[in-house]
Amino acid sequence: MTPIQPEWTSTEHSMGTSIMAVAFDGGVVMGADSRTTTGSYIANRVSDKITPMHDKIYCCRSGSAADTQIISDYVRHYLSMHAIELSEEPDVATAAKIFRTFCYYNKGQLMAGIIVAGYDDKKGGQVFTIPLGGALVQQPFAIGGSGSSYIYGFCDSNYKEGMTKEECITFVKNALSLAMARDGSSGGVIRLVIIDKSGSSREFHPGNKLPEFWQG
Amino acid sequence: MSILEYNGGCVLAMAGKECVAIASDKRLGVQLTTVAMDANRIFRMHDKLYLGLTGLMTDIQTLDQLFRFKLELYAMRENRLMKPKTFASLVSSTLYSKRFAPYFSEPVIAGLDKDNKPYICSMDLLGCVAEETEFVVAGTCAESLFGTCETFYKKDLEPDELFETVSQALLAALDRDCISGWGAVVHIITKDGVQTKELDGRMD
Amino acid sequence: MNTPESARGGFCFENAIRNSVLSANGYKAPTARKTGTTIAGVVFEGGVVLGADTRATSGATVFEKNCQKIHYIADNIMCCGAGTAADTEHTTQLIASKIWLHALATRRKPRVATALSMLKHMLFRYQGYVSAALVLGGVDFHGPHLYTVYPHGSTDRLPYVSMGSGSLAAMAVFEANYKDGLTLEDAKQLVYEGISGGIFNDLGSGGNVDLCIITADGQELIRGYAKENERKYRRPGGYKFPSGTTPVVPGSEKFKEQSKDFALVTEQDGMDVSA
Repeated sequence: MTPIQPEWTSTEHSMGTSIMAVAFDGGVVMGADSRTTTGSYIANRVSDKITPMHDKIYCCRSGSAADTQIISDYVRHYLSMHAIELSEEPDVATAAKIFRTFCYYNKGQLMAGIIVAGYDDKKGGQVFTIPLGGALVQQPFAIGGSGSSYIYGFCDSNYKEGMTKEECITFVKNALSLAMARDGSSGGVIRLVIIDKSGSSREFHPGNKLPEFWQG
Repeated sequence: MSILEYNGGCVLAMAGKECVAIASDKRLGVQLTTVAMDANRIFRMHDKLYLGLTGLMTDIQTLDQLFRFKLELYAMRENRLMKPKTFASLVSSTLYSKRFAPYFSEPVIAGLDKDNKPYICSMDLLGCVAEETEFVVAGTCAESLFGTCETFYKKDLEPDELFETVSQALLAALDRDCISGWGAVVHIITKDGVQTKELDGRMD
Repeated sequence: MNTPESARGGFCFENAIRNSVLSANGYKAPTARKTGTTIAGVVFEGGVVLGADTRATSGATVFEKNCQKIHYIADNIMCCGAGTAADTEHTTQLIASKIWLHALATRRKPRVATALSMLKHMLFRYQGYVSAALVLGGVDFHGPHLYTVYPHGSTDRLPYVSMGSGSLAAMAVFEANYKDGLTLEDAKQLVYEGISGGIFNDLGSGGNVDLCIITADGQELIRGYAKENERKYRRPGGYKFPSGTTPVVPGSEKFKEQSKDFALVTEQDGMDVSA
């Protein structure tokens, strides 16, 4: 590498990330930070890592930006075809299984950690996580990305069964703030997507108005 | 050592007024051993279009054959000669088709288009075209040639003046390169014909 | 079955074995020409402004002082390229022709998102080995759009973007001065300042500032919007070598007259592609 081509010009565009999803009775809350990096340079400080798959199914992406964007393009395509054939809204599990198939059969070439979450009439709010190797696990809540390792303890001690939507939103905001504060490759703003029977809505929390309860 | 420096050699092309010059040295070496002093690296594609190739001699000769073949097919199919700009695209896409296993050669193209306007361009080994209006250089002493051409070049030179300018630029640069030299050849392409002269250069 | 490699399309690897043997024997594969580059773009109320410097480098040598890094995709879409010069050039040419065929097939004006997904799918397929870092901008049915495309195929959509080795300098200018709802003049000035930042603070970038303005009414490419690095030291009158200065090998002079067999170009110069 010549000196006029710095390291970040050729590094893969990746998302050292903090992402999260929590199911509540009748829906899910999904959250993500907004930092995308190439090496040590922040290529995008307001990225949207919560990507719509269908009206009431979204995914949180972590890992290589290129890989996860392409996979979610394909899944969105297959899911919409499936929904048209079915003439009804697709199940969250179906979306998660399409993701799993891509991630598992191409695991040697992909860097993608994905959380799929959403609402369907059969099973309500659901959260699935697909870690690097292409496993598929359903969980009451899921965290992912490089920032998640800082908040396992917080999440385990603060998650309670049967939280309301509002409690879930606070839980996600607090957990992500902690992760973004400690993880150098996470940061920026917090984006939330709240999905229930009636559809989805978004919340935006700018970086200078994040919870600071932990600073004492 | 880069494979482009294995055989040595350089090419220079310069635009004049309704004329264009293309020149090269004549050495062929195997690293620091000189094995020939009459190497040819400038090829006539047609009367108003010349192709100079620097780099690995085996690829230079392969590419010369390939482009001559493609040009003859074109001439038969279209019943006309190829424009220099079209030829540049042909060379460029041929080189780029081998993007991941390239020929080790950097071409220089010089020619006159239909209004006898000079056309010159150079390329890297992957086929990235650099069109210029003044001069283009390639080969082991490209840096020196840039220096001499930048100082000696003048706009709208007549064929005789262009010959002197190109020769001086080339000889001055050759003297600072161990693996180029041993005489040089200059072609001046005009609307009337192509004047070829060999230069009496240093033999060390 | 037995299609020759040249007719199959895609890249040809017939030199791959030879080249890997050469590099295993210590003959390093040469470096391709790079555009150590500053490219950038800004959205304004009625369109986008794209900008680029004009330097192409090979190692530390400036190989081209005034190259064009803003490439044509369609009449309403342009694309700035950074990275390996051959890759940006050929990738944008390929997409331009695919977009043109797509527009003819669908009988619609090309959309920026179409060009974007063609680019990202192609670059993703080559897994970053085609090293083209692009800034894609244009105006279509949905209004102005501005995207960045990374060599691995990831994309971002933002109101102001920069790419290449000088992108930090340009982004510093944008982060300080960008505001929503810029006018055309403000946007041009901002992009010019960003590219200038790259030209003067990044060694890989240099030369002139090129701008391209795309609005719903069309596009305008301004080559040399600012020329702050013109040569200042040309000798008045230049150097003159009288005829006969250079010693010519006696008897080596040859003159070949132009043959009259073929015309260089016949009257039918371009293909008719009108409806």
